[in-house]
Amino acid sequence: MRKNINVIKELVRLRFQHLMMFRIGFFGPFFVDGSLFVVQLMVFSAVYANVERIGGWEHGQMILYIGTFSLINAINMVVYFFGVNSIPAKIKSGEMDLYLTKPVSPLLRLSLEHINPGSLPLILMSLVIIVYGAWEAELRIETGIVLSYLFWVVLMCILYYEMEIIFRSISFFLISTAKMEQLESACLELCMQLPGTVFYGVYKVVFYCILPYGIMATVPVKSLVGECTPATVLHALAVVGIFTGITCVLWRGGIRCYNSASS
Amino acid sequence: MRKYREIARTYLKTQLAWRADVLFNMVFTVGRILFAYLLWKVIFAEKDTIGGFTFHGMLSYYIISSFFTQLEMSHGISEEMAARIRNGTFSKYIVIPVNVEGYFAAMESGVVLFYLFFDFAAAFIWIFLFGIEFTLVKDGMIIACALAMVLLGMFFMVQLNFFLGILTFKYEEINTFLMIKNNLIALVTGSIVPLALFPDTIVSFMRFLPFYYVTYLPSMLLTGKCAGEAVRGIIVISCWCIVMQAAIRIAWKRYVRRFDGVGI
Repeated sequence: MRKNINVIKELVRLRFQHLMMFRIGFFGPFFVDGSLFVVQLMVFSAVYANVERIGGWEHGQMILYIGTFSLINAINMVVYFFGVNSIPAKIKSGEMDLYLTKPVSPLLRLSLEHINPGSLPLILMSLVIIVYGAWEAELRIETGIVLSYLFWVVLMCILYYEMEIIFRSISFFLISTAKMEQLESACLELCMQLPGTVFYGVYKVVFYCILPYGIMATVPVKSLVGECTPATVLHALAVVGIFTGITCVLWRGGIRCYNSASS
Repeated sequence: MRKYREIARTYLKTQLAWRADVLFNMVFTVGRILFAYLLWKVIFAEKDTIGGFTFHGMLSYYIISSFFTQLEMSHGISEEMAARIRNGTFSKYIVIPVNVEGYFAAMESGVVLFYLFFDFAAAFIWIFLFGIEFTLVKDGMIIACALAMVLLGMFFMVQLNFFLGILTFKYEEINTFLMIKNNLIALVTGSIVPLALFPDTIVSFMRFLPFYYVTYLPSMLLTGKCAGEAVRGIIVISCWCIVMQAAIRIAWKRYVRRFDGVGI
């Protein structure tokens, strides 16, 4: 554990050194994702100017949803996205050898070697959106509710991370996974725009169980507005547990299958 | 003109090399339709009309607008220019005996022609799959106006992306800006939600911008709405094309000499 913490510290230090060399675009991810969520807010403001509820949620709850998705996405961008995203290229080029031969967990190093502090303002922006949403929804803020919300946000960040690893681990088995990543971004885009409360039937099965992007921001918001039923809690915990297992199996299987360059 | 026709034909043929891409592009057009279907089905369960749309009218709008949005692939122009200027290989376009903007316009038309059939097929499939009672205007004049506007709108987008590409000569790194631009374009062209849902003052302001006429107004015209704006729309987008052409000419003259051909 202590060794891993030292490795993480070193990775963060190296990353800062690297970012200081390439200052252009330091805040790029913040502006890109920030604009995306501002567009989302504008879209739903326009829709709510014409309707009162969407899937049982009022404007304030929808703002909370957008803010929460933005927060999960921001944590992803700051901590692990750029590292995880480079996995397919490293498998393809054989660069993965360098990670496997080092005396540190390859996944730990891959996940944390490209942290991106430029996206930190995105976390602040998300928090502002969440506070605005809470004010709009006239929420009564209590410590217990906030702690439960934070618990779900952390859990959903883990789920988000696992989904990214799953999609990228496929590179161990296939030559090109560009289309899988396209599928991932299409699902993300859809669930970023639609709260889980609007899914029904087969769509609910797909986005709650198979590609569980539909629960990522929905469950934390439900916990915040007091709509979290025991069934929701059990379902969310089960999904995170199952996907943790799938991620471990796929990653370990992938490493075993890896044949260095050209695998 | 013949050389531009050849360029378009070459790019049309090139698309055949990536057959899987064509298939996946068709499949992924469903994202926007699925978004609209799920969102508006829930909303229309409580109301009959919203912003002048019925449920099937709204889905018809999304089918048409996502068809146009899918065809509009000019963002590749600015990305290609930015990448080549940065790595020093933009000379490839400067040394050939064609107008560079014309080259990119011809390239875009070749790609659009190729995808036209497939996107049309995809739209048909989604109409049947989602059981949409598709609404299409029957007035030939309005259809002609909408198609003319779409062509002008696409040309404007080619110009805009070429102009942004030119800015790489000056600013060197514009990728962040291009990504922000893509996010905003999705909003102002009405491809996420119809602009009719926004307050009147915002819609009135948008009428002065070219993006209103790229996919939103043609889609509205084809679903039988805003007929009174058809002719004015063509005039406004034509004016924007002229303005953008002038801006391109000035920017090209001023910035192309900064290109040293060695990359950054």
